[in-house]
Amino acid sequence: MAAACAGMEAAAAAAPAPPPSPPPPAAAAAAAAGPGWAELVCAQGRNLKAVLCQRCGSRVLLPGAATFARRELLLPAMRKKAAAAAAAGGGDVVREHWLVRDMFSFENVGFTRDVGNVKFLVCADCEAGPIGWHCLDDKDSFYVALERVAHE
Amino acid sequence: MAKTYDYLFKLLLIGDSGVGKTCLLFRFSEDAFNTTFISTIGIDFKIRTIELDGKKIKLQIWDTAGQERFRTITTAYYRGAMGIMLVYDITNEKSFDNIKNWIRNIEEHASSDVERMILGNKCDMNEKRQVSKEKGEKLAIDYGIKFLETSAKSSINVEEAFFTLARDIMTKLNRKMNDNSSSGTGGPVKITENRSKKSSFFRCTLL
Repeated sequence: MAAACAGMEAAAAAAPAPPPSPPPPAAAAAAAAGPGWAELVCAQGRNLKAVLCQRCGSRVLLPGAATFARRELLLPAMRKKAAAAAAAGGGDVVREHWLVRDMFSFENVGFTRDVGNVKFLVCADCEAGPIGWHCLDDKDSFYVALERVAHE
Repeated sequence: MAKTYDYLFKLLLIGDSGVGKTCLLFRFSEDAFNTTFISTIGIDFKIRTIELDGKKIKLQIWDTAGQERFRTITTAYYRGAMGIMLVYDITNEKSFDNIKNWIRNIEEHASSDVERMILGNKCDMNEKRQVSKEKGEKLAIDYGIKFLETSAKSSINVEEAFFTLARDIMTKLNRKMNDNSSSGTGGPVKITENRSKKSSFFRCTLL
C-alpha cells in the first residue's frame, strides 16, 4: 500500500515536469525555517492554532484537529493562470504537514478529482491550492502543507 | 479522535450545465483563485461545516462537474445522497423547463426520501431574466419542494439555501429516529438518548 503511494508520488511529480533533483528554493527555505514550526505544534504533536487559507482566511482545520508529520511530497505550484502558462507546470517539494486522519475533521476543504491515485486539497471558499495531498491507497491520511496555509 | 460533529449530510447539485452550480460552492465567486492546474482537474466535492440549532453539521457537497452534459448521472452518483439542490438559471428558460426532467431523473435513481430544493440562480441578472419568480414558485409548489432565488455572484440566499436544506434533512432524521424508538418499545419516547448520540449517517468512501 505504501509502495503504491510512493509510486504515485513519483508519477505526480513527473506529470507536470521532471522531478527536480536539487530541492527547489521554496523547499530549502522551509527546511531552514524548520524550528519556526515548533511554535505551531503542541506537546502532543497537534496543531496549536487554527489552519486557514492564506488567501481568503477560510477555516480549514480547528486547533488540535491534526498532527504534525514529515513527508516529502511534490505539490503543483500555487500559481495564477498567466504565470502558470508562462512557467508551464512544476511544483514544490514540501516536507512539513498537518496530518488529518478523518476527512470529516476538516472544517472546510475541497477535493480535486483524481490525478492518478491522488486527490489534491484546495481551499473550499476560493479554491486556492493545492494546499494538501491525499493518496487513495491510504484512506485515513490527508496531508496539509504547513507552508501553504496560514495559522491563527 | 472522537467525532467532532453531530451530523453528516451528503448533498448534490443537479441541473443543466452553465446554470452556475459550481459557483454556488464558492464563497467569493468574483475572487476565485482558479489556478490552471486546479481548474483543469476540477473539484470533486467540498466539505463544509455549519452550525444549526447548536448542532455541528458536516456537509459533503458534490458537483456534477459537467457529467450532466453526457447524461451520465446515474445511480452511482445519487448513492447515499440525503439532499439535492435542483438548480436552474433565471436567464435561461430551457434550464428551467429541464428541472422537470431532473426531478424525474431523481425519482428514478435517488433514494425516495431524499430532500429536494429548487434554486433559481443568477437572480442578480434581472435585466436578462426569462423565468419569473412566480413561475419558479409555482413549479416548486406543484412538486411540494422549497424554492429560493439565489445569486452566487452577489452571495444572495446561497447560505440560506444550504441551511434550509440541511435543516429539512435534520428534521426528517429526528422525526424518523423518534418514530423508530416509539414504535420499537411502545413505551415513552426517549428523545434525550437519541439526541445525545453522535451520529454518522453516511460514510464516504473514495472510489
